[in-house]
Amino acid sequence: MLTPPPAVLAYRGSRRTDHTYFQRCLRSIERDVLRMGALVEESFRRAHQCLFARDLQAAERIPALDNQIDQYYRRIELDCATLIAQQAPVAQDLRLLSAFMQLVRDLERIGDYAEDLSEMGIKLFAYKPHDCMAEIEAMSFHAQMMLATSLVALADLDGAMGLTVKSLDDTVDDAYDRLYEILAYQRDIKGVVEPILLLGLAIRHLERMADHATNIGQRVAYIVTGQRN
Amino acid sequence: MTLLAFLLGLTLGIGFWLWRQRRLRRQIEQIVSALTDRTDFVASLPISSLVRRELVYLNQQRRLVETELQTWQRLFDAAPMGYLHVDEENQLLWCNPMAQELLSINRWQPGQVRLLLEVVRSYELDQCIEQTRQLQQSQVDEWIFHLTDHTGKLGARRSIGLKATSLPLPKGQVGVFLENRQPLLELSQTRDRAFADLAHELRTPLTSIALVAENLIPRLENPLRRWVEQLFRETQRLIALVQDWLDISQLQENPGEHLRYERLELRDLIQGSWQTLEPIAQQKDIELHYAGPEAVYLRADPARLTQVLLNLLDNSLKHSPLHSAIRVVVEVATDTATFNKVNEDRNVQIHIIDSGSGFAAADLPYVFERLYRGDASRQRPSQATANAIPPFLGRGSGLGLAIAQQIVQAHGGLITAKNHPETGGAWLEISLPCQ
Repeated sequence: MLTPPPAVLAYRGSRRTDHTYFQRCLRSIERDVLRMGALVEESFRRAHQCLFARDLQAAERIPALDNQIDQYYRRIELDCATLIAQQAPVAQDLRLLSAFMQLVRDLERIGDYAEDLSEMGIKLFAYKPHDCMAEIEAMSFHAQMMLATSLVALADLDGAMGLTVKSLDDTVDDAYDRLYEILAYQRDIKGVVEPILLLGLAIRHLERMADHATNIGQRVAYIVTGQRN
Repeated sequence: MTLLAFLLGLTLGIGFWLWRQRRLRRQIEQIVSALTDRTDFVASLPISSLVRRELVYLNQQRRLVETELQTWQRLFDAAPMGYLHVDEENQLLWCNPMAQELLSINRWQPGQVRLLLEVVRSYELDQCIEQTRQLQQSQVDEWIFHLTDHTGKLGARRSIGLKATSLPLPKGQVGVFLENRQPLLELSQTRDRAFADLAHELRTPLTSIALVAENLIPRLENPLRRWVEQLFRETQRLIALVQDWLDISQLQENPGEHLRYERLELRDLIQGSWQTLEPIAQQKDIELHYAGPEAVYLRADPARLTQVLLNLLDNSLKHSPLHSAIRVVVEVATDTATFNKVNEDRNVQIHIIDSGSGFAAADLPYVFERLYRGDASRQRPSQATANAIPPFLGRGSGLGLAIAQQIVQAHGGLITAKNHPETGGAWLEISLPCQ
């Protein structure tokens, strides 16, 4: 069942020492994780465009992006498992690999939410923009900023920066609560409730995306310090 | 006896030593003469000066190369375009200040070796480098680079149009030149907006002029009447041109927003368009030859698609010789090359081929540009023919093909122009998704 992934196979033939071989595999996985991160960011950005700038073209490429994200997700998970099984890494290397396996899951979820958001954008297109759209947009920007921060923390393996994402999450949570109040207790609604329903789902999605970004930041901190909180 | 033996030994020893010396000298001479590339090599010099000369010479050369390297380095640093250099594992080895500025690389110091993706989260750039390495071919890519700042300042987002030209280097390394396309993009946007505004401003007065002229015609006698009629016609042409321009601008700004999708049958649409053009076709005795399936269904905006067909067929008619035929070939192709395998994409391809003189090779890259007119053979028809032919959108305005392209692209399709190898005439190929 566990066939070595291409990244591992590519270096098997080389007559390098175990250390370098392992380092190269690790580097290749790290590269894939960062690529996946860049794709997820792109997907999020396009979903944002679709939802707030009513740019339907931006949404067109999202399913293809999501497909690619899923491919990376499966490949990285397999690569990590193979490398752990073959090389038996210890300490930070092991933490890095196991954190990668968890973190790609968070990334993949963010990608899925982005795809959902773009679909909502297409449905919302038919309706007049809601009054609280600007606030939701700010929330979305904030969530994107959190994702960017967690990806930078991952690239730099900066545990302190990873933990700051958690504090950024409060802003998104507050925005969610406030927007929920506004949307839920609206009166005298003319016409159908679909736009309000969709916006309610959208803020929920954004809040979840921010949570996943927080998770990524915390996993980075775990890689560096070895402490899971 | 002892002395003799001693002398013999000494002679032998000295002889051996001399032989060794000679051999050493010959070896050094050989090495030096084989390695040196200088022309004033003198083999007769003592061995020590020979080696010293060579070392001094090499030192000089090294210093020269070093200064040259520094000059190049300075040039790259001061270059108005970005350059970055990655190794076979996509690690950033070096980049110049311009590249740092364009890509906002602020977490990298010269001398550091880090994965490029760690400092620049751009999938496009990564793919460009990856492809260059795989194909061992220079690649040119253009994309908008978005940057979400992580420092926590909201609004610190920026995007910049970039053009990358990559170069495969030895040992799997890749060099990438980066150009800032942002000023150009902004310029063309402002130009388009200015033109659209102008067209908008022109439309109202032109409509009133046309109305006044139209009202005047029945009240006037010749020759005044003929002049006003001409005024009216020309004003109508201007109105059509302005309207075309507004259409293009709208389509470009929000493609898709102005489309009303319906399920339609393509062959009917082609026949319908042809019937509209029948009067001109009969004048020149030109026939339409249709080849393809009996019925092809697709989802598209019928009014817009008719406009595309009218523009293209009208163009073909204009350039077809008398008593010829225009071929319309329709094919339905399943596109297996698409990345997205989930929803299998089917494409409809429409080929419109005439037997006129075709496009000039130099014009081919520009035929879809607004207001572009090729050489004399494809220019605006003279007044006489323009009078005889009912006005159609984009007629002779240089906007017909531009509109066709905008509409096809808004449908998510593709339009290409080339010359047909057999007929020598223009060959326009539209590819539309069936959905």
